[in-house]
Amino acid sequence: MDTYTGTIKPELKIQELTAEKVKFILTNVDLSMANALRRIMLSEIATIAIDMVEFELNTSVLADEFIAHRLGLIPLDSTEAEKIKYSRECNCNGACKECSVELNMHVKCTEEDITKDVTSRDLVSSDPRFTPIQEGPKDPGILIAKLRKGQEIKVKCIAKKGVAKEHAKWSPCAAVAFEYDPFNKLRHTKYWIEEDEQREWPASRNAADDFAPGDSEAFDFNARPNRFYFEVETIGSMKPEDIVMNAFKKLLEKISSIQMGMSTNDGMSGRDQPRDSY
Amino acid sequence: MDTSGDNDSNSGEDQTSLFNENISDDLLEFATVKDPTSLTFSISGEDHTLGNALRYVITLKIRLSIRSRSPEVEYCGYSIPHPSEDKLNIRIQTTENTTAIEAMRKGLEDLKTICDHIKETFIRSNRLFDIQQ
Repeated sequence: MDTYTGTIKPELKIQELTAEKVKFILTNVDLSMANALRRIMLSEIATIAIDMVEFELNTSVLADEFIAHRLGLIPLDSTEAEKIKYSRECNCNGACKECSVELNMHVKCTEEDITKDVTSRDLVSSDPRFTPIQEGPKDPGILIAKLRKGQEIKVKCIAKKGVAKEHAKWSPCAAVAFEYDPFNKLRHTKYWIEEDEQREWPASRNAADDFAPGDSEAFDFNARPNRFYFEVETIGSMKPEDIVMNAFKKLLEKISSIQMGMSTNDGMSGRDQPRDSY
Repeated sequence: MDTSGDNDSNSGEDQTSLFNENISDDLLEFATVKDPTSLTFSISGEDHTLGNALRYVITLKIRLSIRSRSPEVEYCGYSIPHPSEDKLNIRIQTTENTTAIEAMRKGLEDLKTICDHIKETFIRSNRLFDIQQ
């Protein structure tokens, strides 16, 4: 493609990179490409999350399914999620070491007049690679339930690999902020106003990195968005830069699998004849 | 370019498969045609993520070919026939200079090039950022 192999090449600049988020500007790409990247990061990066919970004992005030749901939402370290199979692609019957991680939890409140917190720290993983995330030894963990004297929870959890397309608990991102054209030069939006647009719609944070329109600048109806502001925020299960890298990988995988489909379909089997009727 | 009447790939011929339990497991299917310049590719398991980007790289050919003497792609559009069906249809119509399959192949190749490039730029930018810190 002349545009991309020639003079104008996409550029990417990281502005901020911390343990939980990465901020970058992507330029000289089409909106569709930037959006593909956003959609993949949000919903197609594989992570590990608790998917099945077996209750051996639950005398807490919370119902089984309520606790099971809370367990599912706990972020597990997914930096090595690639090394595990999807259970649907595994040859085993249900769950095995290749396609799942077992986590056990047994908590009982034995003390009088004390409310015992059940947290993600009480989960014991059978695989050290996939544990509930923890920010340092002082992190109190994520609260799952509270117990009074005599109450007890004993569960066996099976964590599996999945993508957020199926359930949001598998999303590695808390949010993916995505913005283009902070000055609305392209007029892709119309601001609802009371009286004064300038006063009621303060400039976005990204406006400082964009090019402000001149006072008498005419509307360019041929202009297309080409500067995108991303901010990828993780839930802690994966490093933010890894999420972005995995997104590229995933997109390339998608392309390759279609290319494969094209070549195996080369003979054009001729089934589904009616398809060319329109 | 007389393509206006042809851009609706959601025109109802797929209604039966909606209620058909034996939807094909094939990732990609397309029919044999007498006319190789126009084809609808049906890709299962994909959505707007790939559809829009792919449509863009293929239609880019139209814009580029307006300037050149040998236009290739006449029309490219995509649709998701039904939200509860995990399927994407991409319609490509080309001139006699090429075939729809060739246009698709080129489109995929271009998309891959762009994606590879952005990926490398990210890696470079990441390294640069590490050094600056």
